[in-house]
Amino acid sequence: MRVVLAEDLYLLRTGLEKLLAAHGFDVIEAVDSGPALLDALVRRQPDVAVVDVRLPPTFTDEGLRAAIEARRQVPGLPVLVLSQYVEQLYARELLADRAGAVGYLLKDRVFNDDQFTDAIRTVARGGTVMDPEVVGKLLGRRARDEPVARLTAREREVLALMAEGRSNSAIAQRLSISEKAVSKHSTSIFTKLDLAPSEDDNRRVLAVLAYLNA
Amino acid sequence: MDAMEPWNLWMYLFCSLAAVCLCLIWIVPTPRGRGLRGVGLGAALVPAATLCVLAFGVTAPTWTFQVTAIFADGHSVTSGGSLLPGASQLEAFWLAVAIVVAASVFTLVASRQAAYLAAITLLAFGLWQAYVALKLHAGLVGGYYWYDFMLRWTDRLAVWLVALASVASGSLLAARTIVADALGRRSGLTAQVQRLTLTRAAAVDAAAAELRRLERDLHDGAQARLVALGINLRAAERLIRTSPDDAATLVAECRETSAQALAELRNLVRGIYPPVLADRGLGDAVRALVLDCPVPVAAEIDLPGRPPTPVESAVYFAIAEVLNNVAKHADATRALVRLGYADGILRAEVTDDGNGGADPGNGTGLAGIERRLSAFDGILAVNSPIGGPTIIIIEVPCALSSPKISTS
Repeated sequence: MRVVLAEDLYLLRTGLEKLLAAHGFDVIEAVDSGPALLDALVRRQPDVAVVDVRLPPTFTDEGLRAAIEARRQVPGLPVLVLSQYVEQLYARELLADRAGAVGYLLKDRVFNDDQFTDAIRTVARGGTVMDPEVVGKLLGRRARDEPVARLTAREREVLALMAEGRSNSAIAQRLSISEKAVSKHSTSIFTKLDLAPSEDDNRRVLAVLAYLNA
Repeated sequence: MDAMEPWNLWMYLFCSLAAVCLCLIWIVPTPRGRGLRGVGLGAALVPAATLCVLAFGVTAPTWTFQVTAIFADGHSVTSGGSLLPGASQLEAFWLAVAIVVAASVFTLVASRQAAYLAAITLLAFGLWQAYVALKLHAGLVGGYYWYDFMLRWTDRLAVWLVALASVASGSLLAARTIVADALGRRSGLTAQVQRLTLTRAAAVDAAAAELRRLERDLHDGAQARLVALGINLRAAERLIRTSPDDAATLVAECRETSAQALAELRNLVRGIYPPVLADRGLGDAVRALVLDCPVPVAAEIDLPGRPPTPVESAVYFAIAEVLNNVAKHADATRALVRLGYADGILRAEVTDDGNGGADPGNGTGLAGIERRLSAFDGILAVNSPIGGPTIIIIEVPCALSSPKISTS
């Protein structure tokens, strides 16, 4: 799998390169600035990009802007954005085109390399991965809303994991329940939130996130 | 008995006007600033005009006047004489100038009410003059009147009296104007110095307290975790050959500890200078705040540029604190944040439909916001009746830089 990596701190960049290589990814280009990233994304069109939000020259949200711009030029280009902090505002901007194939994770998540590389693969497949912290904030904001309040505690757990972009089997494993139970919960959630049911994992995640972001 | 001279009456009129003027000047509060300086100038003109009256002679021809009163039964009485016997046209002119200037000064210094008073006084003296003149000339006056002493005095003395009164009132007014001006400027400056001293002390205190808090948080948080990390890693290093499973457990623990240290540092950074504020400026940072608020908040943001960084930061934390109060204490179902800029003032308004009763005096974070804003000459206004709604307004004078650059 061809990966473009954007990270300006040398230590982190080489660390990530090693980690990705160890998990069988092919880092075709590692860049350290916003303009270089945009150029690499549009020119090389990798299977997935792993991008740090804060990049030179402005040291603000250069990476995020470059990623959004690249996806404007190459719709659906898979991008996983990493950051030292997560903002619902940025999550919204990444999700705004509703094309999927985006991820937004705290840098800490790299510590768990299995989950991290799973997330990269999910995004590369067109899936959506949201950091639990973003999802927590989204749910927190909607907690008082009538439909969300109607969910059972278990359903809310399932909803949170779904919003993070996890597959049914991953949710089942995480909650130590059967996959069948998960799909039952998910049907119930979609009914209660008045969402159109969908068998496709990716579309289901997008629907849930769109609902929470509304 | 001497003939009633209108000249004398004018003298007395002017003297009494000057006296009234003088009284009022000391009673009525003086206007500040430019008006006051104008008054000072006017006040200096009065004695100048009077001195002119004294300096230029008594030689020019005099004016005459004639008054005819026709009574109901058909007979008429005519009274006439010199308008200003013994006074030259020049004298009369300067006297008129002096009166006009005195009256303007009077009006400027005193209020409109004082000007009305002057007009009434003038009218009363005019009527009095007409009454006396008619009485005298109709031969209706007999005996000795209390005001006869006035009539016996010479014109010259009257001029001197006017001169004295004018000089006295003018100089006093000028002196008072200068003193008041100086005092006013000084007390204004003193007040500003006091205010700046207080706000600077508050700003320095706040900065110091903030640094202490940071030091403590780092010491008890991230630093302590790094120490634990080192200890655990060393232990894992020892165990790695003899008991690899225990070593693996320790290393996993280390990973957990480093994640916690990161989370703590992240919160700390957010409290120092929120990254989204650094990235996007106040507008988007407030949008992000609004998204994070558990109460549904609408945002109306219209900023044509970016305020200076310290102002952005102060206003951001002020709005954050207010929204925090809304979420925690107000029991509100919704809120509205308005952020805008007009006439050199950055203005934020947070309204909620909660139960009100917010008071900067009772230990909420509002007093802290007020202190922080005061360092920028900013203000916090709270309108929060019991039962709500609450409106909180934050205003900070500042300039905006570079036009807005935003993706949204």
